[in-house]
Amino acid sequence: MDQVAALALGILPAKEARRVRMQIALDEELFSTYHGFRGTADLIGYSAEAEPAEINELQRVRMKSQVMKAVRAQSMRGAPMPLARAGFAGPAYAVAAAALVAAFIATFDNVSIRRDLTAQQRATSTLQAQVSAQSKLAATERTQIADLFAPDSIHYPVSGGEVVTREGRVYIAMRTLPKLPAGKVFQVWTLAHGAKAVAPSITFTPNASGSAIVRLPAQPHQPAAVAISIEPEGGSKAPTSKPTFIRPLS
Amino acid sequence: MVRIRDRDVAAFEAIYDAYHRLVYGIALRMLGDSAAAEDLTQSVFLKIWSSPESFISGNFGAWVSRVTRNRALDVLRSRAVRAEDEMPNDIPLEGSIDDVVFARIDGDRVRAALAALPSEQRTLIEMGFFGGVTHEEIARRTATPLGTVKTRIRAGLRKLRAALGTGVAT
Repeated sequence: MDQVAALALGILPAKEARRVRMQIALDEELFSTYHGFRGTADLIGYSAEAEPAEINELQRVRMKSQVMKAVRAQSMRGAPMPLARAGFAGPAYAVAAAALVAAFIATFDNVSIRRDLTAQQRATSTLQAQVSAQSKLAATERTQIADLFAPDSIHYPVSGGEVVTREGRVYIAMRTLPKLPAGKVFQVWTLAHGAKAVAPSITFTPNASGSAIVRLPAQPHQPAAVAISIEPEGGSKAPTSKPTFIRPLS
Repeated sequence: MVRIRDRDVAAFEAIYDAYHRLVYGIALRMLGDSAAAEDLTQSVFLKIWSSPESFISGNFGAWVSRVTRNRALDVLRSRAVRAEDEMPNDIPLEGSIDDVVFARIDGDRVRAALAALPSEQRTLIEMGFFGGVTHEEIARRTATPLGTVKTRIRAGLRKLRAALGTGVAT
């Protein structure tokens, strides 16, 4: 907080000021505190406001006439006019060189800050994508739980588990699947109404205790029956082993 | 300022009349030389005329005060190599100091508020604002530990804010 107050008063060395500004930019509370101090620091200048008597009439008239003369000349020409007295400004080339150096420094600072911000924005985007993916996964799981336990879901018992359907969604929920040989997976098969052969669907592996819940990919119509069999990794186009179960959904 | 952007000389003159004592006073306090303060006053007002878009929004008095201080720092830098930081010319957040407070602020009130501060806080704040030196230089000049300088400045700014914020807005 001391550093923030010092920055607001404008007494930090340039390098330190840049560091504190970065901290302020990343911390909402510091940002608010800084602006509170800045608002107060802005008022300090008023304590130096000259009393009317401190500027004598001659001086007042001279100052105003010089400024107004320059302003009116600019107004007429539409171009800047040099000051009547510019003793401290130095030669024009020196001023231009100083401005150029200042511009380079400012540009360097800006590039550095932009680079930091870009990195922060990328990190933020990645985190947002992860949060979004987690949210979708959580939503899917919520839907799955609701489907499995909803009173209007239909349960079709099979050996070691059940097939559950609700509003067109089909799940296979197994509690005790046999351990798979190496290089093998379970594959789901579906039989469409009126079809004579089953169609391949997803493959899955149960967890260590032999349980698995899988949701079949969405289909235009609920299949007439589902089955699972053990197949080589990657799945098969047609069953190559005796089905673990075949369950008509009716 | 909208009228000045439209190149309204009369509007500019009104701004000059209202703020030239503030600009000149800050310049004189910082530069300690009436001729240099006059030059700086002209420079600030011609900058206002030639680049009115520099002022975006907020309190004009606060903005012109910052511009004046920064220009005075430029002059001080040309006299000696310094490395202190300028106060950016941007504006404080809305609500950091009420516009009502700003509208009623004047030299007397701020001087009174500063005078009410403990002298060790007031001296450091005035050195910081008008002296154009870093906190380390303030510590060196006042033979005060740097940490104490910073703490006193923070405490002083807080008291000043409380005095001006609560004592003015009604």
